[in-house]
Order: sequence, then C-alpha cells, then structure tokens
Amino acid sequence: MQAAQAQAIGPTDDFVIDIAEASKVYRGKVHALRGVSMRVHRGEIFGLLGPNGAGKSTLVKILMTVIRPTACRGSMLGRPVGDKAALRRVGYLPEHHRFPDYLTAAQVVDFFGAMADVPRAQRRKRCGELLDLVGLTAWADKRVRSFSKGMRQRLGIAQALINDPDLVLLDEPTDGVDPVGRRDIRNICTELKRRGKTVFLNSHLLSELEMVCDRVAILVQGLVSSQGTLDDLTRDSQRYDVIIRGEPPPWATEAHPAPGRNGATRLTVHGAEPDAVQPLIDRLRAEGRTIIAITPVRESLEDLFMRAVTDPTTGEVLAPGAARPRRANGEGGAA
Amino acid sequence: MRQTLAIFLDAYRELNARKLFWITLILSGVVVLAFSAVGINEKGLTLLWFEFPSALNTTLFPAESFYKWAFVAFGIKFWLTWAASILALVSTAGIFPEFVSSGSIELLLSKPIGRLRLFLTKYLAGLLFVVLQVSVFTLACFLVIGLRGKSWEPGLFWAVPITVLFFSYLFSICALIGLLTRSTIAALLLTLLCWFGIFGIHATEMTMLTFRERAQLRVEALEARIARLEARLAERAAASSDQNGDQADPPAPDRDAERLAADRQKLTEERSTLASLRKWHAGIFAAKSILPKTAETTQLLEHTLLSVTDMERLRGRDNTPDPMPSGDIRISGAELTKRIDKIQRSRTVPWVIGTSLAFQAVVLAISAWFFCRRDF
Repeated sequence: MQAAQAQAIGPTDDFVIDIAEASKVYRGKVHALRGVSMRVHRGEIFGLLGPNGAGKSTLVKILMTVIRPTACRGSMLGRPVGDKAALRRVGYLPEHHRFPDYLTAAQVVDFFGAMADVPRAQRRKRCGELLDLVGLTAWADKRVRSFSKGMRQRLGIAQALINDPDLVLLDEPTDGVDPVGRRDIRNICTELKRRGKTVFLNSHLLSELEMVCDRVAILVQGLVSSQGTLDDLTRDSQRYDVIIRGEPPPWATEAHPAPGRNGATRLTVHGAEPDAVQPLIDRLRAEGRTIIAITPVRESLEDLFMRAVTDPTTGEVLAPGAARPRRANGEGGAA
Repeated sequence: MRQTLAIFLDAYRELNARKLFWITLILSGVVVLAFSAVGINEKGLTLLWFEFPSALNTTLFPAESFYKWAFVAFGIKFWLTWAASILALVSTAGIFPEFVSSGSIELLLSKPIGRLRLFLTKYLAGLLFVVLQVSVFTLACFLVIGLRGKSWEPGLFWAVPITVLFFSYLFSICALIGLLTRSTIAALLLTLLCWFGIFGIHATEMTMLTFRERAQLRVEALEARIARLEARLAERAAASSDQNGDQADPPAPDRDAERLAADRQKLTEERSTLASLRKWHAGIFAAKSILPKTAETTQLLEHTLLSVTDMERLRGRDNTPDPMPSGDIRISGAELTKRIDKIQRSRTVPWVIGTSLAFQAVVLAISAWFFCRRDF
C-alpha cells in the first residue's frame, strides 16, 4: 500500500519531503489544507510562506505527526507521512514552543535528545557543541525561566539539532530574535545545507527567506499557490533597467522610458535572459549615448508574495484565515 | 527505554522544582516527629516525657501492635490518604494540562515515540510524587517503630504500593479531566469532587451495612428471646398440665405469653426492615463495585499489619451497648463492630484491587484513546 502510494507520486530518492493531496478538515468544517502537494529536495533550504491561517503550521504539524491529516499521500525521508521512525532523523522547532522552565539549557537539550532516542554519550558530546553553535555556552547551566525570547529561540534550534537530523523543520525560527541572532540563524541554516542537510523554513519574514532559501512555496487558503526557485517564480517579471544620460531616444518607446535622477533616463527591457537587452545596448552605443548602468531587476519575494495573496480578478488581498468549504458555484475558494 | 528514563528523570526534576513537593515532605517529617513523640508503656500512653495513665497500655496491647496501629490509623489513614493525597493532587493536577499545552506537546509528539507509550509513561511518571513521599515517610516510620517499639516490621513497606495504588485511582481521573479540559483548576476540583463522591458512596454503603448488621443482630436477639420465652412457656405449660391433672382450673393469663406475642409481632417487623435494608445495601454495594475502592484499599494495609486479635485487643474492654438502642432489644456495640470488621476483611484483595484497577483501566483507556486521536 505504502509502496503503491510512493510509486503514485513518483520516485522519492531525491526528495526528503514528497507529499500529494494533503488535506485537513478540522471539526467545525474548517478546511485548513485542501490538497497540498509539495516536494522538498535533499540538501536545499526550502521556505514555506503564506499569510496567517493559510495552513503552514498545520502542514508542518502533519509532517511531525502532531496533527492527523484528513488525507495525505507521500513520504518524508523515504517513509510514509506519519511514520514515527522517520522522526529519528528529523529536527523540529515549533512556532510557540515552551520548554520546561525548571530545566537548564543543557538539560533541555539533553532531555529532547533522549526523547529523540540519541545515545547518552552522543548527547553529551553534541550538547556542548550545539550550545556553542547557538551562543548559549555561558548559559548552559542556567534555568530556562530566566531566558529571553531570543535565547529560548536559540535553545530551540539547539534541541532541534541534537539528533544530527537529515531534515530540520524550523517554524518561525527568527521570531523574537535580534538582528545579530537572525544572522546567526541564517548562518546555521547555510552551514546545515553545506553539510548536506535539508532545512525547511516556515516564516513570515520574507526578506529572511529570500536571503537563504533555494526554493519556496506559497500557501494561500490551504492551497499551494506557487512553488519553485525564486528565479523560476520571478522569471516572468524579470527585466533589465538601462540608465542613460540625457533625453530618451525617440525610437525607444517600447522600452518604456522614464525620467531618472540628475537628468538621466531609465529604459526597461522585459526578459530574464541578457540577450534581450543586447539590441538596445548596441543601438544606444551606435548613437554615442552614454550608458550609466545596466541592472538586471527581479521581483522581490515580497512582490511575489503579495501577488500570490491578491485576487487577480478583484485586485483585493484575500481574506486571511483558513478556507471555508467551496460552495457549488465555486465561491469561497483560494486564489 | 531511553525515552522512558528521560520522562521519569524529567518528572523527578519537575518535582524537585516544585515547592509543594518539599512542603509536603517537610510536613511528613513533622508527622513522623509527632508519631515518634507518642509512646505506650505499662501504665498508659506517653507523650514525650509526660505519662497519661490509660486502659490502653502494654499489658493490654503490645507496644509493637500499638505503633503499627498508630501508623495505620494516623500515618496512613489520616496523613497519607487524606492530607498528603490532597497536597499530592494539588501538586500533580497540572501535569497533564501542562503536558498537552500548546508549545510543549508539539515538541514531544514530534519525537520518535508512540502516543500511547508517551501517555502511559507520563501517567506513571506522575505517580512519582506519591512514590517518593510515601517511601520517605514509611522509611521514617519504620525506623521509629523499630527504635521505639523494638519491632522491625518490614510489612510496613506495603504502605508504598498500597498508597500509590490508592493515589493512582484518583490520578487516572485527574489525567482524564486534565486532558479533556486542559485546565489545572478543573482537573483538581473535579478530581476532588469525584473522590468525595466515591467516599460518599463508600460511607453510604458502610452506613447501610451497619444498619443491616444491626437489624440482623436485632432479629437474632429477638429470635433468641422468643425461643427462650417459648421454652419457658412450654415448661410452664407442662408443669401446669401436671397440676391440671389434679385441679381443673384454667391457667391464668401470663406476662410471658404477652411478651411472646409482642416479640413475634416485633420480629415480623424487624425481618421486614432487614429485608428492606438488605435490598438497599445490595443496590449501593453494586454501585460501589464498579468504582475504585479508596477506603478498602487503605484498609488492606490495616488488615496486613494488624490481626483480628490485635483489633479485638484494641476493642477488648469495649462492652458498650449499641450506640443506637431502641426498645428493649439490646445488642452489643462490640459485636456489631466485630461483625462489620469481619465482613470488611472478607472482601478479598482481588475484589478490592481488581475492581478498582478495572475502573482505572477504563478511565486510562478513555484518556489514551482521546490523547492518541486528538490534534494538538
């Protein structure tokens, strides 16, 4: 049965997460997920974004067996979703985690290591390393109750890594963390990737994700709105801005001339490939015009996100929250 | 096994961090000190260096039996199964609501451990509070009895499993309510309510049993008296028939005959009352059978440590009549107590513990089912 499911959604060797048609209907008929299909490649940093109530945490909790899906085909680390054995190789930092405040930082890491079935000797060795990694060595023997939000977040990352996981799911890891801490967390993610681990980030901070993610998926009202590398997702919006000195040439109307700073003019050529801009450059050079700058411009992740959460027909931002069941005429669905 | 040990170690650390755990332990120490201050000698009872002449002395009751009785009556029945248990419930009522609270449960459920095992391990770890408290208390009492009563009684340590068993009935209810409501206050108050409900049913059953046995004794006393009257009247009739052979006068109305008629009437009424009480008691006993036997469980320790002879010695001079006499039928209060004690002792360990564990198993099964199926 499980093999048949895996076959149905294709080979799973290259994917640490490969799920199809994941859905979750809570009591009260709230459709948190409505058939999410998603693939996360081995060794990449994958970002999951979406507005509040889009179903991001529900999806992560399904993967971590905290929530039982209404339906879900697929696998995580080659094992069916919901299989507890797969969790030995997974590290997880929940969004609003709460550690027992009577434990010290070292005890927290050790306890969750033991719960992840990590042998004691290995726990002892890794505990010091991880606390050092997240900058909590000096706080190893201090009780968690005295920790700030940012320190708890750092500790959460340490406990998520205690079992040397192949896949790390971090739900809002930079929440409450100062800029230095955010940079540290980004560095940790990058280092994990360098070691061949897969990092699954769930965050609202689009700029953070943009800096580290290889691929992203945008979840809107329980459905994947778009998924892929940032280049793939922004390909249609990519363009080149050519800044020239002086007035725009009269023949350049297709390049949408616009006034720039200090009497300069900005010309725009749409396209992802540099070939598209070469004829314009050649003609400008032939006329002896001064080219100040040629800049490839890509849509930001925020632009992409806003596009995903905006209803293309009305131009209105979709209401936050989980989707209600579709009506017969299709109203109430996601974009 | 690694995960199980981790949960138990965590439970120990949690207890260590709770002030109430240490307060309860200190109070246990105070109870032990008070226990060690009380003594018995050939003249009566002693408190520290003061003597209080009493009928309860070592000529009647051996010192070791007195200490064991005091341990059961005050140490176990009062302190451990009432005061300390309430403190234990206050201290442990928050375990399951905190366990399933948002932010905590995700971390545990995301580990490679099954939900059922996680729940049951957490439940057993929750009993650690009582295990530690009772163990320390019993060890201290063991030393006191050994040093003061010169009796080293290893049977005292039955207090540990028995008290833990008693507390586990309540803790299973507490765990269920904690899971359902996620509220410490609700778990504590509703568990206390259930406990008092169980105690109320037990008290009602004991009251009905006392009434039933009293009615039984009254029936027996009446039957004996009627038999005596019948014999006396028969004797008298035989004597008068001999005399009638000589004189033809009819026998005069007899006071005994009147009493016999009245007693027969009363016997009919008492039998009817007894039948009615039996029916009521059977109904309450049936209801009690499916509930945990908190009182009987702790009584098991009394039955283990104190023999029937010990208890009879304790009540040895008790010739008091029934505290609720009625009419001219007199029954012995001591006999009534003896009968009730005999009935209680006849309730077997498998019945007391088996039915209680069955109740606990049902409650835990519901809790586990709920925990395993719930989305957090």
